[in-house]
Amino acid sequence: MSERAARVEQPDERGDPLVVVDELRSYYESERLLGGKPVKAVDGVSFEIRRGETLGIVGESGCGKTTLGRTLVRLEEATDGTVRYDGTDVTTLSGTELKRWRKNAQLVFQDPTASLNERQTVGAVIREPLEAHSWGDPHSRRERVYDLLELVGLAPEHYYRYPHQFSGGQKQRIGIARALALEPDFLVLDEPVSALDVSVQAKILNLLSDLQAELDLTYLLIAHDLSVVRHVCDRVGVMYLGKLMELGPSEELFSDPANPYTQSLLSAIPKPDPSAPFQRLPLRGTPPSPRDPPSGCVFSTRCPLKIRPDIEGNHDLSRAQWEAIDRFREVLRERDLADVTFVERLRERLGLSTRFTPIPTVAEELLGDVSFPDSVEAALSRAVDRAAEGEVSAARAELADALGGVCEREQPVRHDVGEGHSSRCHRHLEAYADADDVLEGEDGVGGVLEGL
Amino acid sequence: MTGERDQHRNAGRRHLDERSLRERVTANPRPAILWIAGLLALLALELGTIAGVTLEAGSWIGTRTTGLWERGGLSRVALLAVALVGLVGASGRLSAIDRFRVTAGAGVDAEGDSNAAVDADTSESNESRVPNTPRAVDTAVIAALVGTVVVLAIWVGAAGLVRTVGQGTLTWIADLPTLTAREVISNEGYQTPDGTWHGTFLGLSPAVAWALRVVVIYAYALLWVGWVFVGYRWFRTHYRRVEWTPRDDVVDRLRRHRWAQFGMVVVFVFLVMALFAPVLGPTTAEADLYGPYSHTFEYYDQGSGSVEELTVGEANLETRSVGYEAENVGPMSYDEYDRFHPFGTMPDGSDLFTFLVAGARISLVIGLLSVGLSGALATVFALISAYYRGLADLVLVVTGDTVMGVPRLLLLILLTVLLADTWLGGLYDGGILLAVVLAVTGWPYLWRSFRGPALQIAEAEWIDAARGFGQSTTVIMRTHMLPYLVGYLLIYCSMVLGGVILAVAGLSFLGLGITAPTPEWGRAVNLGQDYIATTSWHISLIPGLMITLVVTGFNALGDGVRDAIDPKADDSSSDNASNARGGGV
Repeated sequence: MSERAARVEQPDERGDPLVVVDELRSYYESERLLGGKPVKAVDGVSFEIRRGETLGIVGESGCGKTTLGRTLVRLEEATDGTVRYDGTDVTTLSGTELKRWRKNAQLVFQDPTASLNERQTVGAVIREPLEAHSWGDPHSRRERVYDLLELVGLAPEHYYRYPHQFSGGQKQRIGIARALALEPDFLVLDEPVSALDVSVQAKILNLLSDLQAELDLTYLLIAHDLSVVRHVCDRVGVMYLGKLMELGPSEELFSDPANPYTQSLLSAIPKPDPSAPFQRLPLRGTPPSPRDPPSGCVFSTRCPLKIRPDIEGNHDLSRAQWEAIDRFREVLRERDLADVTFVERLRERLGLSTRFTPIPTVAEELLGDVSFPDSVEAALSRAVDRAAEGEVSAARAELADALGGVCEREQPVRHDVGEGHSSRCHRHLEAYADADDVLEGEDGVGGVLEGL
Repeated sequence: MTGERDQHRNAGRRHLDERSLRERVTANPRPAILWIAGLLALLALELGTIAGVTLEAGSWIGTRTTGLWERGGLSRVALLAVALVGLVGASGRLSAIDRFRVTAGAGVDAEGDSNAAVDADTSESNESRVPNTPRAVDTAVIAALVGTVVVLAIWVGAAGLVRTVGQGTLTWIADLPTLTAREVISNEGYQTPDGTWHGTFLGLSPAVAWALRVVVIYAYALLWVGWVFVGYRWFRTHYRRVEWTPRDDVVDRLRRHRWAQFGMVVVFVFLVMALFAPVLGPTTAEADLYGPYSHTFEYYDQGSGSVEELTVGEANLETRSVGYEAENVGPMSYDEYDRFHPFGTMPDGSDLFTFLVAGARISLVIGLLSVGLSGALATVFALISAYYRGLADLVLVVTGDTVMGVPRLLLLILLTVLLADTWLGGLYDGGILLAVVLAVTGWPYLWRSFRGPALQIAEAEWIDAARGFGQSTTVIMRTHMLPYLVGYLLIYCSMVLGGVILAVAGLSFLGLGITAPTPEWGRAVNLGQDYIATTSWHISLIPGLMITLVVTGFNALGDGVRDAIDPKADDSSSDNASNARGGGV
C-alpha cells in the first residue's frame, strides 16, 4: 500500500478524467399505479473519476451508492444528468452502441453467490461475455477463460466446476474474472468484499489492486466499510440520501473531514488506542426516506451541527430544548409520511384508539418537561393543535417556519475546502462557521471544526 | 480419480485437442465403424418398414402438392417456394461449413483468421470477420445456382421422373420382409381338432406367437436404445475433445435415480407401443376397428369340420363382452374363432389390446402436442412477463384471466365445433384440432404456475450481470431464466398430460373429440363404464390403469430429469467433495 500513498501525494498528475458525472439523478418510480412520489436514490451527484485511480463511495445503506454504481454501468436508467465516459454521454446510448460501450465498463457484484448463475459451469460464466460479443472463436474463448482464471488466482481445471463448489472468496474471483473478460477500462466494485469473510477480504482487495496495476484499470469502489475505503481508495466521496456530501483525497478526508456527516461517520469508528482523545459526534436516528427527503440540506434532520435560527426576542435555546423540539418534529414528520388508511383516519376523527398515539399526548411527553420562550411556546402549541385536527402537514410547515433554520430552507452548495476537496454544508459559509453554539456541553468536541 | 483428471486437463491445456471430429474419427476409426455397422444392421432389420413409411409420407405430400400444382395460379408460388427453400438450404449448409471450419481452429484455409483470434485481441478478432464477406457472396451465388437448377428441374418435369424411379425402388424395398412384421411371426391361424395350429408361426399357439412377437419388438427397440447409449459411451471415451462435461453428471445422476428409471421404463413401453402399434396387436386396427367388414379371416368350423372364411365384423358380433358370462371374452383368452385376446374384447367384439396399442399413438400425439404447445406458450409468456414486467405482464395477465374466465368445457366445445370443418379439423381424425384447442385453452393454467417462479428468477443478480455485459434478451431468458423453470415445466407438464388424456376421453364421450371408430384410451374407459361391476370389468379397468401408469411414468421421468439437471442435487453424494474445491481462496 506504499504504492497507494505515493499516488495520493500527486493526485492531479494522474491522467485526465475517464468518467465525468454531472448532476446525475436516478429515481425509482413509485410502485403505485397513480400518484406516489419517486424514490430519489441518486439526486444530483457530480464528480469525476480519473484514469487509473480508485474512487471510493461510502455511505449508510440506502444512501443510493449502489444505484449510483448501477447507473454508471447503465443497469439503471438515469433520470437526469449525464455520465461522460471518455467524452461520450453514455446515458443516451442505446442498441448496438450501448452494447459496444458495455465492454468498457463492468460491475463486480456484492454477493458473489447471487451474481453467478449456479446452473452454469465456471467456464460458461466467464465465457458468456465473450460469446455475447462474438469475441474470437470457441477455441480462443476457451483459452481466454483459462488465462482469466489464472489471472484472478484460480486454476484452469476449475473450468468445468460449478460455482457452488467454491468458497465465497473464490466465487468473487470468478465474478471478477467475468467482469474482466471483455478487457474493460472501468470497473464498478459494488461492495466487493462485504459479503466475504474478514480473512478473505484482504486477499480480494489485494487481488483488485494487483489487477489495477497490471491492467491499468479505473475503479469506482462502493463500500460502507470505511476502513476498506481508506485502505484502497485514492479519493473518497461520501453519500447521504442521494447526495454527495463530501469528496476529497482519501487521506485528507479521513484525517480532516470537512462535512458534519463525514465527521459523524468517522467518529463511529472505534479507535484502537483507548487513551486517544475521543471526539464523539453521534448520529441520531435513522436516515429519512429517500421518497421524501428533507427540504434544504438532506442531513438537516440528523445533523449534530445544524445551524439554529435566531428566535424572536433574541433567545438562545439550550441544547436540551432544541433536542426536545427536534424529537417532536421527527414524530410529526414520521406521522405525516406514514400510510394512514381511511379507516384509521375515521377512527381518529371519532376519537377511537388508533395505532398512533395522539399528537397532544406525544407533545406532552416530549415537550412537557421543558420550558420555552413565549414565541416558541406559541408556535409549538399552534402546531400541536393543527396536528390534533389531523393536519399534520400544516403543523410541520408551522414549525418549519418558526424554528427551521437555513439548513432546512436552503440546499447547501458545494464548497471547496482544500486541494480537490469539496463539501456541501452551510457551515462552510463565513456567517455560520462558528459551531460553538450547538456544541456547548459536548465532551471534547473542541477542535472538531477547526478545519472549517 | 478427479485429481488425475485435473492433472491431465491441466497438462493438456496449452495443446488442447484441436482436431475436428472428422480428424479424430480418422485417427481412430474402429469404434466409429463398428458403431455405424451396428446401426446399419439395426436399420436393415426394419428396412421394409422404413421404406414403407417414407413411401406413405411421400405419397401424402405428393397428393397434396399435386393438388396445389393443378390449381394453375398457385404453381408459380410453389416454384418460388421451392427456389427459396433451395436458397435457404444452401446458405444454411454453407454457414454450417463455415462454423465447422472456425471450430476446427487450425483448418487449412481458415488458418489466418483463427490465428488472429487466438491472439486474444478483441479488435483483431473483429477484423477477422471481415474476410468472411466474400464467402457470403459465394453463398449467394451457389444458392442462386441451386435454386435455378431446382426450378428448371421442376419445369421440365425431371422431378416427376425422379419421383417415379424413387417410388419404384421404395415400393420394392417396402415389400422386403422385416423382423417385426406380422407375417414373420404370425399369430393368426386356426386349430384343427387334433390340436395342431395352422397358419401360425412354427405352429405355435396364437398366444405364444403373439407373445413372441411382442418380445421381439421390445427387444429390438431395447437394442436401439442400448446401441445409442453405447454410441454415447464410445464417443465419450474415444472421440470427445474433453474428458468430462457437465452433461456427464446429468447422465450419471439419472443412472442412480430409481424413480426416474421407473418412469423411463414406463415411457419407453408406451412409446414403443405407439411406434409399433400396427404390429403389436394380435390383429390390426384396420381389420378390427376401421373396416371389419372388408377384412376376412379363416377359422376351423367345428360343425362343418372345415376351414371357413368369415368377415371380421361378423365374427366380432359373436365375441362381444357385454357384462355377463355368456357374452364375455376376458383377458388372456381365446374366442370361439380361435382368436387370442390378451386383454379381452370390447363391447362390440373387437380386440381391446389392438384398440389400446392403436390408441397409444393417438393419446401420445394429442397429449404431447397439446402439452408441448401449451407448455411452450406458457413458458414464453412467463419469461416475457417476468423479464419485462409492467405493461407486458399486465396484458398477459388480462389475456390469461380472460381465457380462464370462460368455462373451459364450454370453450372446448365451442372451438371444437366451430373448427371441425376446417382443414385443421381434418387432420388425424380431429386429434390435432383437439390438441390445439386444449393447448389454447390450457396455457393460462400452466403460465400461472410458471409466472411466480419466473418473477423470482428475473430478480436474480446474475441477470443484471448478464445485462451488464450486453447479453441479448433472448439469450438471458434462455440461459439464465429458462433452466430454473425447467423443473416446474417438467412437473406441471407431466401433471397436465394426464389431464389432457382425460379431457380427450371426456370430450370423446360427449361425441366431440375423437370420433367413433378411432381408438382412443378414454373412449375405451367410457365404453366399458357400464360393465365395470360385471364380468366385463376389463374394458374400463385396463385402459384406466394404463392411463394412470403412463401419467405416473411421465411424472416420474419429469421428477428424475429435474433432479438430474440440478447440479446441486449431487453435492452430498460427490465421492470427493473436498477434492472438488480448488485449494486456497
